[in-house]
Amino acid sequence: MDVRAHVSVIFHLDKCIGCHTCSVACKNVWTDRPGAEYMWWNNVETKPGTGYPTRWEDQKKFNGGWKWDGKDKLETRCQTRADSFLKLFYNPNQPNLDDYYEPFTYKYDDLFTAKQGDDQPTAIPVSLITGEPMEIKSGPNWDDDLSGSPLYAENDINLDALTDEERNQLFEIERLTMFYLPRICNHCANPTCVAGCPSGAIYKRGEDGIVLINQEKCRGWRACVAACPYKKIYYNWKTGKSEKCVLCFPRLETGQPPACFHSCVGRIRYMGVMLYDADRIPDAMKVPDRALVESQRNAFLDPNDPDIIAAARKNGISEEFIDSAKNSPAYKYIMEWKLALPLHIEYRTMPMLFYVPPLLPVMGKSANGTYTHDAKNFFTSLDDARMPMKYLASLFSAGNDQIVEDVMRKLMAVRYFKRWQSVKDMDENEVYKILREANTTPEEVEEIYQMTAIPTHFQRFVMPPLQREESIESTCSPEVCKGCTGFSLEPAFNPRA
Amino acid sequence: MIDLFLYIGLPYIAIIVAAIGCYRRMRYSKYSMTARSSQFLEDKQLLWGSAPWHIGILVVLLGHGIAFFLPSVWSAILSVPMATFIIETIGVACALLALAGLGTLIYRRLTSARIQAVTTTADLLVVALLFGQVLLGVLSAMNFRYGSNWSTGTVVPYVWGILTLRPDMAYVTGFPMLFKLHLIGAWLFILLLPFTRLMHILAVPFQYLFRAPQIVIWNTTRRRRHAVAATAKADSRREFIKGAVGVTGATGLLAIGVSSKAINYIKGAGGDLEAESALLEKKLKRLELTAEERKYELERQRNTMILVSTYKELDPVKGKYFIDYAMAPGLAFMGKDCVPIVLSAKCTHLGCTVSSTLDANGKVMCPCHISYFDITTGQPNEGAPAKAPLPQIGWALVDGTGKVVVSRIPGQSPQGEIKPDLLAQCSLYITKPGKATA
Repeated sequence: MDVRAHVSVIFHLDKCIGCHTCSVACKNVWTDRPGAEYMWWNNVETKPGTGYPTRWEDQKKFNGGWKWDGKDKLETRCQTRADSFLKLFYNPNQPNLDDYYEPFTYKYDDLFTAKQGDDQPTAIPVSLITGEPMEIKSGPNWDDDLSGSPLYAENDINLDALTDEERNQLFEIERLTMFYLPRICNHCANPTCVAGCPSGAIYKRGEDGIVLINQEKCRGWRACVAACPYKKIYYNWKTGKSEKCVLCFPRLETGQPPACFHSCVGRIRYMGVMLYDADRIPDAMKVPDRALVESQRNAFLDPNDPDIIAAARKNGISEEFIDSAKNSPAYKYIMEWKLALPLHIEYRTMPMLFYVPPLLPVMGKSANGTYTHDAKNFFTSLDDARMPMKYLASLFSAGNDQIVEDVMRKLMAVRYFKRWQSVKDMDENEVYKILREANTTPEEVEEIYQMTAIPTHFQRFVMPPLQREESIESTCSPEVCKGCTGFSLEPAFNPRA
Repeated sequence: MIDLFLYIGLPYIAIIVAAIGCYRRMRYSKYSMTARSSQFLEDKQLLWGSAPWHIGILVVLLGHGIAFFLPSVWSAILSVPMATFIIETIGVACALLALAGLGTLIYRRLTSARIQAVTTTADLLVVALLFGQVLLGVLSAMNFRYGSNWSTGTVVPYVWGILTLRPDMAYVTGFPMLFKLHLIGAWLFILLLPFTRLMHILAVPFQYLFRAPQIVIWNTTRRRRHAVAATAKADSRREFIKGAVGVTGATGLLAIGVSSKAINYIKGAGGDLEAESALLEKKLKRLELTAEERKYELERQRNTMILVSTYKELDPVKGKYFIDYAMAPGLAFMGKDCVPIVLSAKCTHLGCTVSSTLDANGKVMCPCHISYFDITTGQPNEGAPAKAPLPQIGWALVDGTGKVVVSRIPGQSPQGEIKPDLLAQCSLYITKPGKATA
């Protein structure tokens, strides 16, 4: 058993209002640089929708993630070791600028310097790459709130799981539904980007599992961009290096949650330590699609088990990390309550970012276009769910609707129970029956309610005091030991004006 | 002269600059080591440019490489009938493929606005030079057929000559202009390597073939303790092996020496008479030299004064060598004021004997590392390897009756009356340091 600690993340989608504050916080901290304008290490997508980059989930096109041969072999879909050398010259799996969008700004100066005339001066859009005037055709959240759009939402690849009838129902005028999906790097436990990097520049930090790119070792071969199925590695066209979300590790190391976490208006984000058995990776990902979620859960270890604690200590995991793992909201959501699910686990990268699927759009469906929110039947049943379970299963459980349904049932039970507690508009037996059916107890419901609705900052972010004081820095220069700090503001070359 | 520069000077400049430049860039400017791909900005034309170019040029370079590194293998392959034809065909085809690809790349670089945004002047220079170089290569291959054959006897020895520090441009000066240009172009590319994006050639990720799929790096000392302990163990093992090898080696050498002596002893003195007599002669000479040296030494121990020369023999320009009390060379000159100048001739730098002839500036030179010493003061010239002055030596002028007329102790002025006509009868002696002259 090779016990490792991982800083793991929960996004509670029921609470996400799609305000993009997280994206902006990240942009201001990390990607406000030449060459990085188009990058959104954190972005928020509307689902159903095509996302950013457009149709990133289409692995037939981008070939990201792992391919399992059904037996014992797990290999990167985008390349083999041999043909990766040919792909240095031209990588057929790499998205190009048009798959994201051409970054732009406006010529605001023209508003002040335009000659006096009859017309109002305008600030025309110009490309941040060429500096030429351009027509804006897309942006990072171009399909924001555009559920039902034949251009965007209908091209959502997850809708393939639905029947035509379900699709039509989903996009019915005035009754369409949608939810938001904030995405950052998943800091996968079995990352394809690390495996795909020819230069060996990408690595996982042993202590907390953060995946980082050593900018000095990166040679700009772009294999990671193709290998990452979530398209969360971005190529900086100006420096010729790839970049990705660093989970704000400098903030983590000083005890602050990452910028996107800290700024989250809906407080949807949780961060905690998970202990997992590195020996079970990648074998845990060599199971059929439907079993993947459960298989990933099996790789996690119980932080309260004395044997596991002993093994963790032996493996160099600090007491602080072990304590954090015991109080981890991530462990509660993923393992105790089994409410949080990974995004697209069928890519087999073992993402360490988990989502609590949204209940609200599911509850919104009603007959004859009217919402029947009467006291008797305040919540509709899952069978009437407007957002089809199949769609959510396609996103969060590799098509296994049973898992999503279990989560939904529990989420709903929490609501029934809490409503009953204060309004008492139902029969007590009926409420307890719902709890039983959802496989939960009043105590657990209280806990879930506590953690979902009214958690404090320090309940949401249970981060160990990171190894600052005991990190290698005390024995050698951080530049030498870490190697990979930060990003240069200076481009590696001077482009012609 | 221009040939000398182009075929010998330029290669060495290129190789030295490239070696230092590449080392510096890889060591100190790792961040700049990137292929700076522009596929992200434009990928349709790139497919038809980059892929054919790289594949074509790699095959061509492979041919160049085999011919250069394994000339015998190359010649052996070419001796097979049809091989020359096939190889030349493949070579030209790949060169044309590369040229077509490069053309596409140049077109793309000049026409795409997005690509312009990441194009530097150096990039344009490189692609233009590359195009010219490949074109020259193709033209040479077509005009002067069977280059794969004749190159092993001309260009290959020339390049090997450069690399083995035995440059010989006789191989290449007779080449046609087309081929000369191709050759010069090759050296230019080596020169440009560290300063342009060509550097990405040295970043081929061979380690990817062998490395583990996942890379995990630990930062904390707690975790590293195991690693450090393991390293220390490996280190100590290495040290032990090194020590063991050293001891074994020394013992082995010693054993060889001892056994050869033993064998000689058992075999007895062999060899022919002639060699033996030559050896004896050498021994005798050495003994004679030693005896002479001992004689001088004894003389200096017994006498407080040693004769150097007569006063008349002293010359203001050509000094007279003698052996001083320290058994080291000394020099005696006639000074301008008719007072002898006597000083050590042992250079204060590394002990060579300085020359005895004064130059126009009144200085003597040490021929070993070129120090000039002023004989009046003994001081070396400024910037000379020698820093200390040549020491003065005490002397005395003695007349025919054995009476000291004039004498001088180093650092003091001469004692006695200086009358040239009287002194003409005298002889110059050096005096034992620390002994008063009688």
